[in-house]
Amino acid sequence: MTCLRALGALLLLVFRVRSLSANDPNEQCLMCHEDQSLKNQSGHSVFVNKGGFEQSIHGKSGISCVSCHADLESVKDFPHAETLAKVNCASCHDQPQKKFDASVHAVARVGKEAQAVTCVSCHGYHDVLESKDVHSKTHPLNQPQTCGSCHLSQVNGKKGQGFVKDFLQSTHGIALSKTGLANSATCASCHGSHEVKRTADPAAPISRRQVPNTCGQCHAGILKDYLEGVHGQDFAKGVRDVPVCTDCHGEHQILSPQDKQSKVYSTQVALTCAKCHDNEELIRKYNLPEKRLRTFQGSFHGLASAYGETKVANCASCHGFHNIRPSSDPNSPINPAHLPQTCSQCHAGAGEKLSQVKIHILDPKAANYAGYMIQKAYFVLITFMIGSFVVYIVADLKTRLMQRSRKV
Amino acid sequence: MDIKPLSEVELNNTEASRGSSPSEPSPLVRDDEVFIRMTPIERLQHITLILCFVLLVLTGLPLLLDPAMWLKKLFFFETSFAWRGWIHRIAGVGLISLSVFHLFYISCTQRGRDLFWALMPKLKDVTDALESFGHNLGVTRWMYEKGILTQFFDRHPYWLFRQPPQYGRFNFIEKFEYIAVWWGNVVMIASGFFLWATNLSFRLFPLWVYDIFKIIHSYEAILAFLAIIIWHLYNVHLTPDVFPMSRVWLDGTITGHDLRTHHPLEYEAILEARRQAARTTRDTEAQRSGAQINGDQTLDRKSGG
Repeated sequence: MTCLRALGALLLLVFRVRSLSANDPNEQCLMCHEDQSLKNQSGHSVFVNKGGFEQSIHGKSGISCVSCHADLESVKDFPHAETLAKVNCASCHDQPQKKFDASVHAVARVGKEAQAVTCVSCHGYHDVLESKDVHSKTHPLNQPQTCGSCHLSQVNGKKGQGFVKDFLQSTHGIALSKTGLANSATCASCHGSHEVKRTADPAAPISRRQVPNTCGQCHAGILKDYLEGVHGQDFAKGVRDVPVCTDCHGEHQILSPQDKQSKVYSTQVALTCAKCHDNEELIRKYNLPEKRLRTFQGSFHGLASAYGETKVANCASCHGFHNIRPSSDPNSPINPAHLPQTCSQCHAGAGEKLSQVKIHILDPKAANYAGYMIQKAYFVLITFMIGSFVVYIVADLKTRLMQRSRKV
Repeated sequence: MDIKPLSEVELNNTEASRGSSPSEPSPLVRDDEVFIRMTPIERLQHITLILCFVLLVLTGLPLLLDPAMWLKKLFFFETSFAWRGWIHRIAGVGLISLSVFHLFYISCTQRGRDLFWALMPKLKDVTDALESFGHNLGVTRWMYEKGILTQFFDRHPYWLFRQPPQYGRFNFIEKFEYIAVWWGNVVMIASGFFLWATNLSFRLFPLWVYDIFKIIHSYEAILAFLAIIIWHLYNVHLTPDVFPMSRVWLDGTITGHDLRTHHPLEYEAILEARRQAARTTRDTEAQRSGAQINGDQTLDRKSGG
C-alpha cells in the first residue's frame, strides 16, 4: 500500500513538472476553446470558460485539460478529432465512483438513458467547486436546488414530484434558506450523497431500520430518549410496526411542533397517535389497549382540541412523547406515583384527587354510574316533555285551524 | 295601535266554539282600548334574557355537537375556542345579574309582587291543562261519537271537554314557562359555576361529581333550548291567532279585544271593577240629580261565565 502511494505521488510530481515544462498546456487548448462561438459539427458549444475553470478545485490544484480528457494527451495535430472519450472521473475519484455505481442513480442510468445522472449532473463540468464552497452546487445550501433540478419535475417517484418543495417549506428547509444554517439537514444529510439508495434498501440511511440513527446524527438527545421509551425499545428488538421518527414527524415536510400543519401540533397529536393506536389490526397484533382515540375525543380535552384549542391536554401531555413509557414503569408520567404531579401541571392542587380516577373508559356505566342514570333520566324527561309539547301543539293547531275554516 | 276591522271582531264574537268567553265587547272596555301588559322594565328584563339565552346557546351548543368540518370552520382562528368560552361566561354572568335583578323586582316592588303571585300555579291551572289537552286532542269526544263509554260520558259530560278552559291574566302555559325559567336558571347557574371553577370543583369533589355537573348542564340546556323554540315560540308567537309574532314583548301593550279573547277572566275582572265604579258614580249622580243613565241594560248584562 505504502509503495503504491509513493508511486502515485511520484507519478503526480512527474506529471506536474511535465505540464509546467510545457508552459501551461491549458493555454494550447484555450487558444481555440476560449472562443464563445466555437461549436462542433452538431452545433453544440465547445466553449470553455477559462475563469470558471481557474476558480474550480481542479484549476486551483493545477490539473490540466488533458488530465481528464486523457485521450488528447498524445494528440499532436489540431483541431483534434470531434469525438472524444467520455471523461472518467473514477481515474482519480475511484471511491465516490464505487459508491455511485451502487446507488439508485447508477441504476437509473442503466435503465433509462433520459434520466441519466452522472458526476457532472451534480458537480458541474469545468467549474467544479469544493463542496465546502458556498457557491458549489453540492454545498448544503444549494443541494435542494441541485437535487430539485431533476426531482422537482422530471422524476416521478412513488411520492410524486413535490417533495423537494415540501422540504423547502419544512423546518429543515427554512433553517437552511431563511436562517442560513449550513448544518441543517438537507438532501444528502439523510439520503447520503454518492450512495443514494431506495427506502426499501436496508442499507439506505432512510430505510425504516436506519431512520432513528440517521435523525440521531443531529438529534442525539432525542435518539437517546426514544431508545429509552417503549417505542424505541421495541424498535431495538426489531419490531417492524413500531413507529420511527418519520411516522410521527413526517419526512420531507417535517414542521416545527408549533406549526399548525405539523402532525405533532397540539391539536393533531391525537390523530397521529391514532394511526396505530386506533388501528384494529395493530391493536389485535400487539394486544394494545382499545378505543384510546374515541375515549379521548369524548372527553372535554378531546372536544376542545378538535375545535383547535391548544391549551388542553393531548396524548403527549400525559404520556410524554419521545420516551413514552408504560404505566407500570416507575419513571412513567402515568405511573400511579407520578399521576398527581402529571395532572397538576394544568389542574393546580387537584392532582391528588384526579389521579384516583380511571381515564379512557369507554363504558359510561362503568365510568360513572350515577352520571349514567342521570343522563338516562334526562333523556326520558326530555322525550316526554318535548313529546307532550309537540302533541299539544299539533292538536291545538288543528283545533284552531278548523275553527278558522269554519268561520270563513 | 292596531284597530281590528269590524267584520273580524264580529266573526270572533259570533264564534261558538270559543266557548263562554265574553262574546261582545262592552262599552266599558272597548276592543281598541290599550292595556299595559309588560312595563318597560319588564320588557328590558325579557330582552336581556333573550340576549343572554341566545349567546349561551350559540356558544354552548358546539360542545354538544360533533365537531364536524362545517362546525370546525367557525373556529378558524387560534383563540376562537377560548373566545367561545369567554362569551359563554360573560353571558352567564349577564344571566346571573338578571336573576338577581329579577329577585329584587319581584320582592321589592308592588307590581313585581303582584305579578309573582299571579304567576304562581293554582289548582285551576292543573285542571286547565287537563281541559286544554282534552279539548284539543278531542279523544274523549271521538270515543263518545264512536259509542265507547257513552254511559260514563252521559253521567260525566265534563270529560268530553267540549269547551276550552278560560284563562285569567296568566294561563297554565305561561305559569309553567315562568317556573321553568326559574328552575332552569337555578340548575344552570349552579352547575355552570362549578364547571367554570374547574380546579375548585376538582379539589372539592371527586371527578364523577364534576362529570354529573357536566351532564346536567348539557341536558338541561337541551331541554331549555327545545322548550323555548318549540313551546314558547309556538304558544306566544306562532299560534294562528297571533302569527307571525306577538308584539307584546316589544311595545308591552295588549288591546281590549285580545284581553277579551285570550284572557277572558282578566277581562271579566277589569269589566267588573269598572261596573262597580260606574255603579258608584251612577248612584252618587242619581242621588244628586235623580237622573237615569242610558245603557243601563247593557252594563248589567252578564256575558257568559
